[in-house]
Amino acid sequence: MNLTNTQFVFEGKTKRVLFGGMALGVLCLLLTFINDDEYHTRFWTNILHNSVYFTGIAFLAMFFMCAQITAFAGWNTVIRRVYEAMGGFMGVGLILMAIITLGVWGHFHHLYHWNDPNVNVTDPAAPHYDRIIAGKKGFLNPVFYTIAVMGFLGLWYFWYRNVRKLSIAQDTEETASLDYYKKIRRWSASFLPIGGFLSPVFIWLVMMSIDPHWYSTMFAWYSTASVWLGSIALTILLIIFLKSRGYMEYVGPDHLHDMGKFMFGISVFWTYLWFDQFMLIWYANNGEETIYFNERMTHYPVLFWGNLLMNFVAPFFILMRNDTKRKLGTMFFVALIVFFGHWWDYFYMIKPGARIAAFEAKELAEGGHHSSKSHEAAPISDATARHDDASHDDAHHEDAAVSHAAADQSDNAASESAETAVAAAPAPSPAGHADHGGGGHDDGHGHGTGGGEPSGFRLGFTIPGLEDIGTMIGFLSLFLFFFFRQLERVSLVPHKDPFLEESLHHETGALIETELEAKGHAHH
Amino acid sequence: MAAQSKKVLYGLYNDEEELKSAVKAAHAQHLDIMDVYTPFPVHGLDPILGLKESRLHIMGFIYGSIGALFAFLAMTWIFTSDWPIVFGGKPYWSVPAFIPIIFENTVLYSAWGMTITFYTICGMWPGVKAKILDNRITDDKFCLAFDVTEAPEGDVKNLQGFFTKTGAAEVNVKTI
Repeated sequence: MNLTNTQFVFEGKTKRVLFGGMALGVLCLLLTFINDDEYHTRFWTNILHNSVYFTGIAFLAMFFMCAQITAFAGWNTVIRRVYEAMGGFMGVGLILMAIITLGVWGHFHHLYHWNDPNVNVTDPAAPHYDRIIAGKKGFLNPVFYTIAVMGFLGLWYFWYRNVRKLSIAQDTEETASLDYYKKIRRWSASFLPIGGFLSPVFIWLVMMSIDPHWYSTMFAWYSTASVWLGSIALTILLIIFLKSRGYMEYVGPDHLHDMGKFMFGISVFWTYLWFDQFMLIWYANNGEETIYFNERMTHYPVLFWGNLLMNFVAPFFILMRNDTKRKLGTMFFVALIVFFGHWWDYFYMIKPGARIAAFEAKELAEGGHHSSKSHEAAPISDATARHDDASHDDAHHEDAAVSHAAADQSDNAASESAETAVAAAPAPSPAGHADHGGGGHDDGHGHGTGGGEPSGFRLGFTIPGLEDIGTMIGFLSLFLFFFFRQLERVSLVPHKDPFLEESLHHETGALIETELEAKGHAHH
Repeated sequence: MAAQSKKVLYGLYNDEEELKSAVKAAHAQHLDIMDVYTPFPVHGLDPILGLKESRLHIMGFIYGSIGALFAFLAMTWIFTSDWPIVFGGKPYWSVPAFIPIIFENTVLYSAWGMTITFYTICGMWPGVKAKILDNRITDDKFCLAFDVTEAPEGDVKNLQGFFTKTGAAEVNVKTI
């Protein structure tokens, strides 16, 4: 087995490509920020979406590695350094999540309806008091958000640093011993309950609380399976990339086969959770739960069905055969679909809810009575439609002046209009957002169909637009930059690991015709 | 399935590496190996033997597809025309509710189908007497066997010489 060329070199050319990707990401974020609604919903959801997805990939790389070390798995030792390098992005994730957390405190964004300062839904004296969200106040508040998001992520990163430190130190070991291995095992095994039990709380706060009325006990499993697949797919893509650069010659079709089996198996697991979450809610048909799926199936059909196509149908039927899991080409293709598919899945989990939250914030801040203004609620219409509105509004001079002011300034304008709304309508019903849409003149832009929910096509919400894809490329470049930095710190092979020999001689026992022919064995 | 008995010449090796080199040597001399028996799966033996990929899983896919289709059509027929019942206000033809049963039936059909197919191919059914060359091949011996039922005396001699050359610990003939 050829164990040469084990030191990765982060070439200048790769660096330049990644910096280009990051620049593209920043450019796309700027573009979304400019062409956005007054709450910058698309901008903030993109930041949240990519931060959580890539931090989750790092977390699951760590979790997966620890699970395998705890389970005495030997086959993956030769690719352990890839997991280790991926896990390092949790440190960057801490900074990214700190931005979101600061936004919660400073109200820079309106991702979370429970945190809306203008409509203060948890205050019984407020006109839009919401009993359901108020009941969750002990959990859905900025303090707990900070503890869970920053604290838990910090804890995981601390564990990661320790495992990583021990793993690097293991390489310098003079004589073969199990000292470092045993320590790594202890840290890995203890990470499993810490990561496993805390990650649901993390994901409930960060993502499920975007729809604060809705809850699903399946959600944590479902989103974890999703990001796990993102992690596995990215690992496969990176291994294939490293092989194409002449590294990792010792990683053969058998290792790839096992990674493929994991991708296949977890894809089925993901589908099971995806379907279970849907079916239980469909069967029970409780209004507050069903509306979640009704909204998504009616207004986001491309997201909803595309999800199933990319994350179940494609990997299930392509990876079902032995030979597809052993070939670099097909594995690269499927891993690409799955990686993008689960990014799409997170898009689907975040965007519709955040769009509704922004819409509700707008509606409630205005009291839901001024129809001429409420169609300026930018989350519901795209940039061109807004332009049409503006020209249409010129007919109503006073209204147009007010609404443009509201559209230009974000926080101040919203709070001002909240005050005027309260003054104009002293006692709006608690379900103010539900009775909207009845009165006023026609504006031609429907949110009437969804019973107060936003509807209709909008790029960046109903399907990912070019800016969203560009943002993803930016975050991916950031991820890869830190990945390669970590990768070049230490040898690609943990030379002193007791399982190294087993891993180098790993064999799944599967055989395919082409490999046999390549080896020159006769058939009988 | 073979009703007639076979005369088998087999050699027992003490080590799997010896067996592997013997198999390679047999291939080099174009000898027709009947089978190889080992107490545990020997890595790297399959490619040396030139075994083809099993086609059992293709049958598994076909059985599973039949199971899925059968469950779907049966429930469609039962709940729309044979015995329509309203469950929780859902329509008669409620496909999401069918999916768990479709899944179960897929697993059932492919599992049973593959098991029965496997036993049929291997000629294993109730009452079949096991054809065992040597008890120690499930313990610590690695066995390479040739079918010599119709082989002339000279070929058998040659094979015995082959076994001695490749380091077999023991060479026996047995009719099974």
